[in-house]
Amino acid sequence: MPLEPNGFVQLFMSPTESEVILSQQGLRLIPLGQWVHLGPSGTKLRQHKFAELRLGPWQQHNTHGPVSPNDWLREKDFTYKKLRALLSDARHDCVFFPNEFQHYAYLPREIGESVEDWQTRCIYNSCVWYYQHCHAMVPVIMVTEREEIIQRYSNETEGVYVLSFKNYLETFWPDLKAAKELYDSVRQALFERETDSRESNGKEYQEHLPLEVLEAGIKSGRYKQVSQRRQSMAQTICSELTMNLAMQGVLSVNKHRSQMEAFVRLQGLAGKDSDLQSDVLIHGNKARNRAIHGDVVAVEILPKCDWKGRIGALCEREADERAVDTQSEVMMTGRNTNSGKNAQKVLVTPWDYRIPKIRISTQQAEALQDFRVVVRIDSWESSSLYPNGHFVRALGRIGDLEAEIATILVENSISMNPFSEAQLAEMPSNSPENPWRVAPEQCDRQDLRETHLVFSIDPIGCEDVDDALSIRALKSGHLELGVHIADVTHFVQPNSYTDMEAKTRATTYYLADRRFDMLPHILSADLCSLLGGVDRYAVSVMWELDSATYEIGRVWYGRTIIRSSYKLSYEVAQQLLDGNLEPLGTEPELKSLSQDSIQLDRLLWAIRKLTEVAQAVRSRRDMHGALELEGVEVRVQLGEEHSIDDLVPKQPLQVHETIAECMILANHWVAKKIWESYPQQALLRLHPPPRQEFFKELKESAQAKGFLIDTRTNKTLADSLDKANDPSDPLVNRLLRAMATQAMSNAQYFSTGSYTEDLFYHYGLALDKYTHFTSPIRRYADIIVHKLLLAAINDGPREPLLGNKDLEELCRHINSRNRAAQHCQKQSTELFQCMFFRDKDPESDQRCICDAIIYSIRTNGVLLFIPR
Amino acid sequence: MAGLELLSDQGYRVDGRKAGELRKIQARMGVFAQADGSAYMEQGNTKALAVVYGPHEIRGSRAKTLHDRAVVNCQYSMATFSTGERKRRPHGDRTSTEMTLHLKQTFEAAILTQLYPRSQIDIYVQILQADGGNYCTCVNAATLAVIDAGIPMRDYVCASSSGFIEDTPLADLSYVEESAGGPYLSLALLPKSEQIALLEMNSRLHEDHLERVMDAASKACKDVYAVLEQVVRDHLQEVSALVGDRGAA
Repeated sequence: MPLEPNGFVQLFMSPTESEVILSQQGLRLIPLGQWVHLGPSGTKLRQHKFAELRLGPWQQHNTHGPVSPNDWLREKDFTYKKLRALLSDARHDCVFFPNEFQHYAYLPREIGESVEDWQTRCIYNSCVWYYQHCHAMVPVIMVTEREEIIQRYSNETEGVYVLSFKNYLETFWPDLKAAKELYDSVRQALFERETDSRESNGKEYQEHLPLEVLEAGIKSGRYKQVSQRRQSMAQTICSELTMNLAMQGVLSVNKHRSQMEAFVRLQGLAGKDSDLQSDVLIHGNKARNRAIHGDVVAVEILPKCDWKGRIGALCEREADERAVDTQSEVMMTGRNTNSGKNAQKVLVTPWDYRIPKIRISTQQAEALQDFRVVVRIDSWESSSLYPNGHFVRALGRIGDLEAEIATILVENSISMNPFSEAQLAEMPSNSPENPWRVAPEQCDRQDLRETHLVFSIDPIGCEDVDDALSIRALKSGHLELGVHIADVTHFVQPNSYTDMEAKTRATTYYLADRRFDMLPHILSADLCSLLGGVDRYAVSVMWELDSATYEIGRVWYGRTIIRSSYKLSYEVAQQLLDGNLEPLGTEPELKSLSQDSIQLDRLLWAIRKLTEVAQAVRSRRDMHGALELEGVEVRVQLGEEHSIDDLVPKQPLQVHETIAECMILANHWVAKKIWESYPQQALLRLHPPPRQEFFKELKESAQAKGFLIDTRTNKTLADSLDKANDPSDPLVNRLLRAMATQAMSNAQYFSTGSYTEDLFYHYGLALDKYTHFTSPIRRYADIIVHKLLLAAINDGPREPLLGNKDLEELCRHINSRNRAAQHCQKQSTELFQCMFFRDKDPESDQRCICDAIIYSIRTNGVLLFIPR
Repeated sequence: MAGLELLSDQGYRVDGRKAGELRKIQARMGVFAQADGSAYMEQGNTKALAVVYGPHEIRGSRAKTLHDRAVVNCQYSMATFSTGERKRRPHGDRTSTEMTLHLKQTFEAAILTQLYPRSQIDIYVQILQADGGNYCTCVNAATLAVIDAGIPMRDYVCASSSGFIEDTPLADLSYVEESAGGPYLSLALLPKSEQIALLEMNSRLHEDHLERVMDAASKACKDVYAVLEQVVRDHLQEVSALVGDRGAA
């Protein structure tokens, strides 16, 4: 067919689920309210297939998915979620067309017509309508897998083509081998699944219960039917459990004994039912009954006398956990068994050992030996020991640095494509020929360039300087402390491509040897970054402080123009603070100061004053019970060409604390301000108090050394941690602090409309309101907070703020991305640690031997604390 | 478990309306010859019939007589076939008594009762098909019937409902949306003076949202007003044309 991909409307449709996607370049010219219709969902497998194909890189630039979810389609359905994500992300250019509500696209159902046929007819009719709507200028393609549809409709209307998926790929994307392979892999998996289901052999697992039975059981809290059919297999660790109680929870597999032990953390019910405080233990693979880490499962607690319980059924696979349970990295094992044609079945071993081995069939088994590959789990038949999956793509050879990093990224579902042209086109330029300048219309900003001495303190080599500080004495005798934050919202327009991309990324990802920026380089390292000696836009918070007590008086928020005078590093700032003027000679930025003693004195005074203020603020927070926690971070010192020179633990300096305290102060005041202005839709950050049972280990360890740890409130915990100091062994205190850190729950973003005010408390910092405001270059939450703050002080263009529900959804997204970023950072550091030690000989190399403290003994091992 | 999605991401409601959109309104005046005034009203699938008698002398006990104004007597009923489940609905059950009372309050506020001392005006409404917003449809139908009867009113009384789902105020709720259990506010408005004849809300709603929900409801009332006025004008034109014809003949 002499068709070209450009200028066509392409409509994808898989027959069973009748989902449709139209795609065409430049569809945005056509008014909104376009497209078609999504019908009943078919097998899970098919849904995965199409979702995946659609999201492939080859379609990113021109996919328009006009899809309307049928109203009965469940919200948790996999496809539905994917579609929603697709539609909500403007980068995919997907449009929603409710054809059932469109006068000309609607067709009434005929008597005796099956739903499926009717929907197919509707979709086809919509295509024809769209074709005519575009004055027959744009050919429309409908893609389906069902032969009879192709035969029936392909010749009906000129300009509307009906193709099979295979045909479509071959015609329009002949160069995309990856797509073809993926398609074949899915086809293969589908085909085998059909054949497999026919030959039912001996069952390895019990069948899952139908959903209705489950729902009824969960609702009533009883599971009579189930208990009769199932005999007890596993034990529970709960002591006083009611018999036959059915519960719902999230399965988490034990890290240390993934084969045998898994726990179910109960959802919600625990509070209602005071008996059930604890998690439920699922013992053995049989009892786990094909559930995978992260699944939502229903469990049945078995009679107390047996100490047993087991998984009744798999409720649903949480789509959020997809990355872990369906896209696991796998390593090929040697077990290949031939099965017909030239496709081979192979078992792959997931990177995450909590996930069982997966059987896939592929034609390239040999080529993939010892490779990291991505596979997707499709199904797990009760007759099979292993789940079935299909091969998606290969990442690289095992042990290769790039492949391993790619693995970490996929495992945390981070996809990092470079910024697209459309996104970069939105960026202002800053080149030597055409330097970026402060626009004259920005004169309503407060100009601090002449009046304030502004400087920034950051780690060495930092490019994205979010924050700068200033302090000066006012005529009234008060002090004025200023925190100036890069004004990212000035450059990133809401709902622009850059904004969308930043929202998706949510944060900058720091790996041990590289980073993935949230914003394009021109913003993050140049125009937004508060570099020394250049004019920059900022959003500032300025406090008037009493010069003796440092009590906070008036607070001013607003947009400003600043020029940072010095860009210091922590180390240099610390030296200056200690009175060591050595860096003046070595740092090029400070050279001028060695001649100019007035300027030097101003800077030294400012740093000293800042430190004093920070100490005062800190001690006020300490009185309310702020915690000082120990976290050992290792920095990888990289030499030339990615060789690893050494592993260095980070050294805490006094200036670190000063800067941190100023940022906390700014965040706190901004949080107060936006909460007052928008009590229903402010984005804040809370830190829930930890669960008391997590402190057990800490208490026991402290007791062994003769200390008592009081964990009732953060104040008592902070005090007792301070007291637990063994003068002869300073490590004890560090260890205890590290253990307390481990017991903490994670802080999270939330929308104030979703919680009551008493839950806003930040446990670790001992503040009633807290948010993130100070790093908009690398955190999306801060951008939202900036928007809120600017709206609250009536500055900047009025744009609709996010409502509570949207904000809450965004918060969940940001939280999950933040967790991914943390895991990713940790895993990459671990990777480098491993690589560092891999080449060292433990016998000869001093660095491989050091002292450690055993702080806990488990049934299958010990946990160590390495002080270095 | 996910319930029915009452408002999709794209902003469509279950029946395809946008958040502020009304259901289709169709109405006819003067459907009965023997009554002083009558009207038939459809709002989507909710259908109501209203009949007005009076003003006439007080019937029954004379004790009810008011010396300075007319007594407004309302009666609300639902046809046995009006709901999904066929059910005999006796007069005087709790819901219909309440509805009767609400109607009475509404029309006492709107009709210029002081013009007819010591007399009585009867308003009978019946729901033929119930699909949400029964009260509103009844009020709108009764307004038309009162106008048809030629009884002077301060203004049209227009009623509409609104709800609040997923941070969005929805206008003119259908039965499905009503029964989802969210806040439900019905408002009877005298649109020109923007005076409220009746305001009722059930279920909890944060006070921050109340204003938006009220705005949605009053906007819906004004939209209803536009339709009702058109119906009345069309009806008058039709009737006067008939009269004119007769006069010419």
